Amino acid sequence: MKRRIYGTLVVLALAGAACGGGDDEGDGAETAEATAEATAEATDDAATAEATDTAATAEATGEGLTIALGSEPTSLDPHTVDDGGERAINDNIYETLLARDENGDLIPGLAADLPTQVDATTWEFTLREGVTFHDGTPFNADAVVASVDRIVRLVAETKTQNDGFFGSLTGATKVDDVTVQITTAEQDGVLPARMYWLKITAPGTESSDDLSEAPNGTGPFKFVERVTGSNIDLAANADYWGGAPSIGSVRFEFAEESATRLAGLSSGKYDLITNLAPQDTGQAPQVLTAQGQEHPNFILDVDEGITSDPNVRLALNLAVDKDAIVETLFGGFAVVDAGQHLSPSILGHNPDLTPFPYDPDEAKRLIEEAGVAGETIQLVGQAGRWLKDKELIEATASYWQEAGLNVQVESLEFGAYLDVLFDRENRADAIFVSSSNDILDPDRQLSTYYQAGGIGSSNSDQALSDLIDQGRQELDAAARDAIYQEAVKIAYDGAYFVWTVNNEDVYGASERLVWTPRVDSKLLVKDMSLS
Amino acid sequence: MSATEPVDELSATQFEEHKALEAEEAIQGRPFELSAVRGGLLGKFANDKLAFVAIGWLVMIVFVAIFASWIAPYGQSQGTLGDADKSPVWNGGSWDHIFGTTPQGYDILSRLIHGARTSLVIGIAVVLAAGLFGVVIGLISGYKGGRTDRLLMGWVDVQVSFPGLLMALLLLMVLRGSVQTVILVLAINGWMVYARMTRGVVLSMKERPFVEAAEIIGARPRRVIMTHVLPNLVSPLATLATLEFARIVLAEAALSFLGLGIQFPQTSWGTDAAQGGQFINRNPWPAIYPGLALTITVLAVNIVAAWLRVAFDPQEREKRHAATVIAGAKQL
Amino acid sequence: MATFLVRRLLQGVIVVVAAAIFVFVATRAVGDPVDFILPLSASEEQRENLRVELGFDRPMSEQFVDYAGDVARLDFGESTYLNDDALTVVFDYLPKTLQLVGFGMLISLVTSVPLGVLASRKPGGRLDKILTTASLTGLSMPQFFLGQVLVAVFITRLTWFDPGPGPWHKNLVLPAICMALPAVGRLAMTVRSAMIEELNSQYVKVARAKGMPARRVSGVHALRNAGIPFVTLYGWELIRALAGYTVVVETVFAWPGLGFVLIQGIKERDFYLVQASVFVVAVLVVVISIVIDLVYKALDPRVQLS
Repeated sequence: MKRRIYGTLVVLALAGAACGGGDDEGDGAETAEATAEATAEATDDAATAEATDTAATAEATGEGLTIALGSEPTSLDPHTVDDGGERAINDNIYETLLARDENGDLIPGLAADLPTQVDATTWEFTLREGVTFHDGTPFNADAVVASVDRIVRLVAETKTQNDGFFGSLTGATKVDDVTVQITTAEQDGVLPARMYWLKITAPGTESSDDLSEAPNGTGPFKFVERVTGSNIDLAANADYWGGAPSIGSVRFEFAEESATRLAGLSSGKYDLITNLAPQDTGQAPQVLTAQGQEHPNFILDVDEGITSDPNVRLALNLAVDKDAIVETLFGGFAVVDAGQHLSPSILGHNPDLTPFPYDPDEAKRLIEEAGVAGETIQLVGQAGRWLKDKELIEATASYWQEAGLNVQVESLEFGAYLDVLFDRENRADAIFVSSSNDILDPDRQLSTYYQAGGIGSSNSDQALSDLIDQGRQELDAAARDAIYQEAVKIAYDGAYFVWTVNNEDVYGASERLVWTPRVDSKLLVKDMSLS
Repeated sequence: MSATEPVDELSATQFEEHKALEAEEAIQGRPFELSAVRGGLLGKFANDKLAFVAIGWLVMIVFVAIFASWIAPYGQSQGTLGDADKSPVWNGGSWDHIFGTTPQGYDILSRLIHGARTSLVIGIAVVLAAGLFGVVIGLISGYKGGRTDRLLMGWVDVQVSFPGLLMALLLLMVLRGSVQTVILVLAINGWMVYARMTRGVVLSMKERPFVEAAEIIGARPRRVIMTHVLPNLVSPLATLATLEFARIVLAEAALSFLGLGIQFPQTSWGTDAAQGGQFINRNPWPAIYPGLALTITVLAVNIVAAWLRVAFDPQEREKRHAATVIAGAKQL
Repeated sequence: MATFLVRRLLQGVIVVVAAAIFVFVATRAVGDPVDFILPLSASEEQRENLRVELGFDRPMSEQFVDYAGDVARLDFGESTYLNDDALTVVFDYLPKTLQLVGFGMLISLVTSVPLGVLASRKPGGRLDKILTTASLTGLSMPQFFLGQVLVAVFITRLTWFDPGPGPWHKNLVLPAICMALPAVGRLAMTVRSAMIEELNSQYVKVARAKGMPARRVSGVHALRNAGIPFVTLYGWELIRALAGYTVVVETVFAWPGLGFVLIQGIKERDFYLVQASVFVVAVLVVVISIVIDLVYKALDPRVQLS
């Protein structure tokens, strides 16, 4: 009797599992436990099978490692999405014409040398020879033309989130098999940096809308398999032109919470985790850092409202204890921002600018002097998108409150937040944003946040705007540097933003992993090894 | 569903009532703790002491919540990073921050006090709103019968089978999380159980001779409801409302954890436990205090719910008595 | 029986249709996903173009007619967040939720029945009190809090288990326990009270009077009848778990189930993904609740399905 009731209940438990699971899994499991076990084992088997595959394909049978990312790639297409998860994986599968060295300087990648300029809008690249795609297709000028044509088309059809990087491209022409010319709409000093960002796909891809199913690049790792939600597996490319990597295979997994990634690192499941939260660094076997490009800051409305008074903007800067933010929120894994969006590794960084000091008394005095004490300042932000965003907004709000203002924080869902950020008519008094610079070129950040009319800009400074235009068209690096240094100084002097910190990229790693993180935040497994 | 073949008189009534109740709660996945009392969990004075402690705790929480602004040494989001991560007073900290401070520099004690207010306000408001609406629908449905009844109960059936949490998340995405919207969303999600229960009581009342008699002699429906139905609703409603309250407090915490609940500068135990949870590896206390406050309060409510049922329901008391007797007999 | 099935199926269809309508209204009330699809730097013109392309510029009624037609053909469109067919994405993630729920429900089954029976042996006794208090505590704890503590203790510190997907003994046990714990509390309480009630009933007394050993009485008669409310609750726990309540556990343990991806969909304004998953969940819930009623009927012949 007892058994019968148990039996019935097991059947009931199953009914649930089978109803939905039956269609897509197609396995007629007999008990709930069997279902769970069978599937789990199937995953296991698959893993072993892959491992064997890997060993078979990679002649250098290096060990495998597992990396946990904060988010799953939204696609594996190298051109359509702008997404950290996609980059972490595709940076290992695909390559670009130019790369960056450990200092962030451009060096040849798939190109044999740095490009030369043919005329104001044409750049010529000589290509590396003897490189093949993973499917055996040779890499040549056709591949570059296909990649450029594809991105130009995707931008025109708004099918890519990367149009900010490639909007200036107009096309590419093949000169011979190893020479290709890339053209831009107008004089474009950023083009070499753009070619550091454009992943090269095989000839014939120009008309494809979706390359996510079978990634095929020239990089040190080949795509093996994707199990949606669970993992993406890559195997070493033994024929890689730069030499076979020492890591034989790599599996990427995804865990949203830092504590969960850390847990997997501690338990030995992961060898490397990205975005280790500052509070979790004490628990990680190994902490690796690099000075990143992330500059969380507050955009102030320079033109209207209480922030139109330069003294108020200065006061808002003085009121914030940047050192406390570095120490408390970022656990020391950040430096105080030197009053500009540009990291030292970027062209245009102005070394003469120093952070605004923390001077709460002076801030209070300035607020009172301006006659705005007790008035309301609107602070718009959103939580959960960037490292410590919620905490930074709350902390800053507290500091401004102490300085004598009535801070009204609006913590919005991302969509609503974007609506505020994009609203050109009514600029909010202060908008929190974490500005990053993926391609390591100053134009990206300045045209977005500094230049009047830019997507996140709240000023109408014509002189500043002209400088940024000028910098974009200037081709000489030294001259560009000077122009941008002047530009960031204007914004600094006028306190157009409240700068906080420049936080580091923080990784947690197992004891056995040997790797130095890069200033461009790329997660290149070929540089990693296991001790 | 109905029992057609009672084994004997006693088990027949027991079966029906029991089933009706179980079904009501089960339908919502409600806690079943009220059954805990059957058979005499609280049959002994020792156990009533547990209820006593629980009530004591709840009284304290309510007091704290009402006078939060006066009691709390600091505002709910007051404090800068300079004050962050202070130890509690018994661990080398100062009396300025008895429980220490959070990684954000907020006074933990003050956060707990303000959080109590938010959690209680949400719990009570949802219970009142959902309860009122549900009871009215249940009264109409049970009293009118016929087509109205079928229509209203159809509505209840449909909404009950609706994936409730998903609906709450979607609504909060539209409305943006705040105390008011969380109340609204949870109330929309939770009125059905009251409607079903009220209807059940009305139906069982309708068949009682004295109600029938009252109707025959021409008493108006409202009068019948006021004099006969409502008093009989009080005890099951009290129990149900208490259990619902416990559920709502936990639901609010879950919504806040998912980032769609209460937003800064407002705070609740749920938001604090979730935020503190991110620091659990470095300093677990900012998570553990609100987490424990939640657990103990919900536990206390559950215990009180169990006790209420016994206290309110003479039949239960009798059953408990019988059970104690049997339990005693067994021991012999 | 047949009329019952027809009625329940009809009701199920209403539920699914209501869910589909609700999700349409809710998503449209939020705005549109255009800002999420396009890069930050896209111009207002580009945004407008995409809006037109996706049909978000058209009157709501027109959009709804289209939507209704698509749903009827089970075409939920392309997920704007995960860039794949929305229904495919749902079925990619659903198995993980089913594993979690299946294993969790198995745990609650094999633990709650013995616990409840044990507690009912001596109502009010010490063991009863301990078990009852433990059950109440289990169901009074916020699930995310419990999960975070489990991760910190058993994975980070003790390293007994792993987060994320993987073999069941390393990765599934802990989230399943976290998911099952509140249910175990409720179920054990049900078993306990039902057992006590049955043990007090006339026929058990008669059986005992006839000289049947107490153990047998408990095993044979009481447990069988106690099974009925248990099945009701068990079924509803199952439905509850499938109806999205796994989202918290999935997030804490990085278990890639449907709840996890749904919350992403909501945060990224991925209407198509949200519509597809709510639809699938609603169908699941409806089907399972009908199955439960049938099981119920099989278990208790006195129940008439009408």
